[in-house]
Amino acid sequence: MLLELNNIYKWVQSGGQKIFLLKDINLKVEEGEFISIMGPSGSGKSTLLNIIGMLDVFNEGEYNFLDEPVHSLKEKHRSNLYKQYIGFVFQAYHLLDELTVYENLEMPLLYKKYSSSERKALVADMLDKFNIVGKQNLFPSQLSGGQQQLVGIARALISSPKLILADEPTGNLNSKQGEEIMEIFKELNKDGVTIVQVTHSEKNATYGSRTINLLDGRKI
Amino acid sequence: MIKNYFKIAFRNLWNNKLFSLIKISSLAIGLSVSFVIGLMVYYDFTFDKFHPDKDYIYRVTTEFVTPEGSFYNPGVSFPLGDALKQNSASLAAVAPFLTTYPLHIKNTVTDKTFKNPDYVIYADKGFFNVFKYRWLAGSKESALESPNQLVLSEKRAKKYFPNTNYTDIIGAHMVYNDTINMQVTGVVANFTERTDIVFEEFISLKTAHQSDMTSAVLSSNWNGTNSASQLFIKTSKNANAKNVQLALNKLAKEHKDPNEAEFGNERKFYMQPLQKMHFDTNYYTFDFDSELASKSVLISLGCVALFLLLLGSINFINLNTAQATQRAKEIGVRKTLGGSKKQLIYQFLGETFLLTTCAAIVSIVLSFWLLNIFSDYIPAGLSSELFAEPTVIIFVVLLLLAVTFLSGFYPAVVLSHFKPIAVLKNQIIATNDKTSLRKYLTVFQFIIAQVFIIATLLVGKQISFLLQKDMGFKTEAIASVRAPWFAMTPEKQQRLLTKIKAIPEVNKVSLAEYPPASFSTSATNTSYFDDTNAPVHTELQLLYGDKNYLDIYGIELLAGRKQNNDSITEYVINQTYMRMLGFKKPEDALGKIIKADGEQNPIVGVMKDFNQRSLKTAIKPLAFVGTGGANSSFKTFHISFANVNGENLPVTTKKLESAWNEVYTDEPFELVFMDNTIKRFYSQERKTALLLNWATGLAIVISCLGLLGLVVYTTERRTKEIGIRKVLGASLLELNVLLSKEFLSLVLIAFIIAAPIAYFGIDYWLQDFAHKTKLSWWIFAVSGVIMLLIAMLIMGVRTYISSTKNPIKSLRTE
Ligand SMILES: Nc1ncnc2c1ncn2[C@@H]1O[C@H](COP(=O)(O)OP(=O)(O)OP(=O)(O)O)[C@@H](O)[C@H]1O
Ligand SMILES: [Mg+2]
Repeated sequence: MLLELNNIYKWVQSGGQKIFLLKDINLKVEEGEFISIMGPSGSGKSTLLNIIGMLDVFNEGEYNFLDEPVHSLKEKHRSNLYKQYIGFVFQAYHLLDELTVYENLEMPLLYKKYSSSERKALVADMLDKFNIVGKQNLFPSQLSGGQQQLVGIARALISSPKLILADEPTGNLNSKQGEEIMEIFKELNKDGVTIVQVTHSEKNATYGSRTINLLDGRKI
Repeated sequence: MIKNYFKIAFRNLWNNKLFSLIKISSLAIGLSVSFVIGLMVYYDFTFDKFHPDKDYIYRVTTEFVTPEGSFYNPGVSFPLGDALKQNSASLAAVAPFLTTYPLHIKNTVTDKTFKNPDYVIYADKGFFNVFKYRWLAGSKESALESPNQLVLSEKRAKKYFPNTNYTDIIGAHMVYNDTINMQVTGVVANFTERTDIVFEEFISLKTAHQSDMTSAVLSSNWNGTNSASQLFIKTSKNANAKNVQLALNKLAKEHKDPNEAEFGNERKFYMQPLQKMHFDTNYYTFDFDSELASKSVLISLGCVALFLLLLGSINFINLNTAQATQRAKEIGVRKTLGGSKKQLIYQFLGETFLLTTCAAIVSIVLSFWLLNIFSDYIPAGLSSELFAEPTVIIFVVLLLLAVTFLSGFYPAVVLSHFKPIAVLKNQIIATNDKTSLRKYLTVFQFIIAQVFIIATLLVGKQISFLLQKDMGFKTEAIASVRAPWFAMTPEKQQRLLTKIKAIPEVNKVSLAEYPPASFSTSATNTSYFDDTNAPVHTELQLLYGDKNYLDIYGIELLAGRKQNNDSITEYVINQTYMRMLGFKKPEDALGKIIKADGEQNPIVGVMKDFNQRSLKTAIKPLAFVGTGGANSSFKTFHISFANVNGENLPVTTKKLESAWNEVYTDEPFELVFMDNTIKRFYSQERKTALLLNWATGLAIVISCLGLLGLVVYTTERRTKEIGIRKVLGASLLELNVLLSKEFLSLVLIAFIIAAPIAYFGIDYWLQDFAHKTKLSWWIFAVSGVIMLLIAMLIMGVRTYISSTKNPIKSLRTE
């Protein structure tokens, strides 16, 4: 089992009142799954994804990732964990505008202990895999949205994570570009990468092996 | 990794050109001022650090403690040297020496004459025991053993004997002042490090008995103190300096002058450590061309540098935290991709260091320029070559690191604390809590700028007040010219006097000593005994001149008369002395007798008070003595002009000069105008003013740059608001007011804090002056308005640019 959420609650205090963002979430994710999270706007999808990605904290419950109790880990240990196993893909791509495609891909490796020749090989590999060798010296502003998202995925994959978390990865793309991205996810999943995506599109959800529906912070 | 940091840092700088420019230039200004001032401090604090025995070397000097305060003389009575040589247990070396100013020196081999050689002393072996010189020819033991022996420095040897081996110079004959025949017995290398021991020619002390120093040596006794007769000692390494001082105290007591004791005066011998010589304003160094270094000036300069550097760093902090929102995305992404807080802090510090280094490069160029501008302030020996000294390089690097840390650490911490989650949620981070710090820092900047502005205006006001205040005598259209003592004969004197009188533009001429106010004074101890009251002992300044002197300077007689003839000494005293003697009416003082130097001098007149020195000092008791009873050998011609203005002044000066050249063919003609002398009284103040002008200018520039940056940032953030308001019909003025309100209130707060600080600061500075200008309220008002106008100007320009943009466009892009 890759990860397990038990009775997760998250709330914020507002005017002396607790506002629940997540209520009693239980979820098991096995390695190799492709899960889609769906639900209306404001239902807590992103919140849940961020908790899985260890970028956000929760107030109650247990979270085990590869049998490590995330809820009781120190910040440093936790960040090591997601550094090693998790890759993020964002709706707004979040490439660094000051860096070229090549440099954007290289960046996550810089925060991990790779030698420069290893980095070169890995980046070349990714450029190849996503067919963007010709774009490696361009800046993000010189790419189309779909191409930027390709780079975003490539960057998430470069240090070969076990889990890819994607928050509406196709939200800013037209349907054809969206389809291409989903195909790539499907390929990745075939290769053994676990994927959790948030999506509004029924069609995209069908690429997944399982769908979780949220409403007002509760799983239905 | 590092390469990646630098790449992104550089691209960030490039994409935000305006902000980078502001940050770099304000730091560069602060840094260049710090470099220049740092060099000055370093220069002055590294004098005479290279002598192996530097901690054991002292100059013995004399302090006279009198009821009126202490007076200092760098010299000691000549017998002290011999007395110290006798009790040599605790002294490793004793070096009495006499400073001298020969008129010329002739090389008998080449028959060439060199005028006015400087840094010449009479010394003996002891001098070379105190200071270790490298001998290029001759030896320490024998070089100054007998009369008429001469040791030259390497520099002088090269000058007098060009292209000659040092050993070949030995034995050559040199003649001082046509009469003193010397034989060169040694050549020593000049000190290459910074030193106040600047002597170049050493004449054996035994020669002094037969030269122009004869009087200084032969007539010397324990009671006379001549500043030309000085003394260095070196204590033994195991001796206690305190015991040496005790021995000196004992000698001072044994040989005290009973006459002086009667006036309550006491002489003390003071051991001035070599390490303190460079800064001790009581006693001078030997290089009269350069002004003595002043610790207090260096300290205030240091403060100026620190403030400017702080101002520059503040711009950095303010703009960096303001820019934080722009970088939030980068931070969030980096964190989700595995960047730790520490790594991010390093990254931002690295960026700051890159900027600081850019600023440092710019500022090194700027420093060369500043070194030029401040050349008045900067000792001649200080050059940009100091930049190459290892200590200085280390200092520069440390300074850069300190500045990087100071200006980079806080923003780095702020930035690195951003939560990546905020970025993922596409939230703009609210930085409201950070803006308050920015406000404090901005207020701090304005306080400094404001204090500088007020201080500049007030110091300027005080200086013009001093220059315009009536000195009590005529200062315009009066000049004086001084003949050298050796060229002066009564015959030449009269010949020149007649020639000057013949020039039509000359109104009156007087032969005299110094002008009523000057840097030179002569004084004597006087006593006045009266039947009923206690006797009045005081120091009386004396002014010498012929019958025309008082008329030329328009000094009014209140009672009595001027001196009648040249054969007896009669006093015309000033009001201050009159009051000190206890008289209310000038008439009452007439005919009273003043005792001075065993003579009885009658008061024949009372003149109006005038300032004998700058207006910093109060008026001292003074007597005009006329020719002083002797057949006058006055050397200074005082000339008052009639109908001279800017146009014919050069012609008149030319006429005077040709008259001078007919009488003194060889001597330079140096006409000194009275009003220039008065200006020179305030050279220190005018330097302060120059410094303040610069500090103010730079402080304003830096603060304005910072303000510009913040205004640009706020308007950028508020582009949408401006657009909406414009669409709704707001005028340019209203927009300006809207945007300016926030910043103007900061300026106002700064003014409220700055005004009292400036007030007390200037009040303290003014305490040195006997005559003070008023700290008028309008100065404060004007400087407040200046600051306000500058701030408004900056904001106006920016608002104008941003609000003339098409409002629809700005709405669309938001
Ligand atoms: N820090 C917070 N304070 C208060 N409420 C919050 C906070 N963060 C999120 N919320 C609320 O929690 C709810 C869930 O937010 P979340 O971003 O997870 O929704 P979502 O399902 O991703 O919506 P969308 O499909 O629009 O992206 C929303 O109603 C949001 O307003
Ligand atoms: Mg969402």
